[in-house]
Amino acid sequence: MRCTIVPPHILDRVASAGDPELRDIARRTLVLSSGARTERRMFPAEAAAPNEDFVPNRTIADAGHREETPGKTVRTEGGPPTGDKSADNAYDWLGVTFDFYEAAYRRNSIDGAGLKLLSTVHYGKDYDNAFWDGSQMVYGDGDGRLFKDFTGPLDVSAHELTHGVTQYTANLEYYGQSGALNESLSDVFGSLVKQWHLKQTADQADWLIGEGLLADGVHGKALRSMKAPGTAYDDPNLGKDPQPGDMAHYVETYRDNGGVHINSGIPNHAFYLVATAIGGNAWEKAGKIWYETLTGGKLSSTADFKAFARATSATAARLYGDTAAETKAVKDGWSKVGVRI
Amino acid sequence: MKVRVVRSGGFAGIERHGESDSARDPVLAGLVDRVDLGALSPPGRIPDQYQYDIDIDGTSATVGESQLSGPLRELVHHVLNRPR
Ligand SMILES: [Zn+2]
Repeated sequence: MRCTIVPPHILDRVASAGDPELRDIARRTLVLSSGARTERRMFPAEAAAPNEDFVPNRTIADAGHREETPGKTVRTEGGPPTGDKSADNAYDWLGVTFDFYEAAYRRNSIDGAGLKLLSTVHYGKDYDNAFWDGSQMVYGDGDGRLFKDFTGPLDVSAHELTHGVTQYTANLEYYGQSGALNESLSDVFGSLVKQWHLKQTADQADWLIGEGLLADGVHGKALRSMKAPGTAYDDPNLGKDPQPGDMAHYVETYRDNGGVHINSGIPNHAFYLVATAIGGNAWEKAGKIWYETLTGGKLSSTADFKAFARATSATAARLYGDTAAETKAVKDGWSKVGVRI
Repeated sequence: MKVRVVRSGGFAGIERHGESDSARDPVLAGLVDRVDLGALSPPGRIPDQYQYDIDIDGTSATVGESQLSGPLRELVHHVLNRPR
């Protein structure tokens, strides 16, 4: 399912209908353009939530294929679509991710305090990457032969924004196991934003990261699989997905900051096991346990897998009780990937 | 001089390897003289940025993408375009 850009006249009608439920549906399921944002600011009393309605403040800039940030501003909050697919995708996916964090966890932007969101698109030539530079998102167009435009899949944007959330909370060091946890949290919430957007329960979700990013003809479905780490791609040009799904296959390496994109497969798979054991919408319980653990202020920035596993177990016990099915699911999930609590 | 470059990391986490010898690669020969691996600071560990491991005749260094500039940047891209 692709997102729909709602024509302004329909948004106007929805907004002026004054039906809070309809407005809520529009907000949570559709990618809203400027019109609705303006309406939300103008009629805060009609917001569905009892608390303040958070609104994003987005800026999209175009690097013009140079490796420089931020580039030339092409769209700001409330501005009309640019007609450039990359710029408009980046704008829409920032909005969906912002709305997810608000709706699921009552978080106001990356820092929890309404931080402005800035994305640079068309970074570099044939640039096969997207990253969070500590203060903004950066997206390449892909080379077209191996990778498509990195602004395409929603979970890529949500992954990068979550690096920002992690930076402002547990600030997990981007090296070794704490780095793999940092990566995994970006995959977990990247996938959850997509599931929330598509209204998928844990058993309906594909649990893939970067689905739709590989160019036509590449042998693979995505870049990572949380359901089955190591099976996302196997291609003559890309090689084979190197992710392990348990501690017995943990990869010791100094490359990639100590294998942060490789060993993230282990906590990724643990989350998948927990979410599917609990069932239902994964962002509601499993996601909540992970989110509260990340943002609760008790997690060390150098936490390893075991420390994180213990912390999620403690969070589950606090939220649902020591003997609750949710808490048992968390313990079982970590146990199955070989992390002893 | 034998030069090896490994690019790792990035959102995709897919490695790229390149290797060349300045004895048979005049472009590389012009670049190695202008690069001092000892003068580099440790990598910045920026989420999803590329990490480069560069080895010139046994002397090696690891740098982040944001540290690549001038002749080092040219050298890295030149060598990565010569897959091992
Ligand atoms: Zn990442």
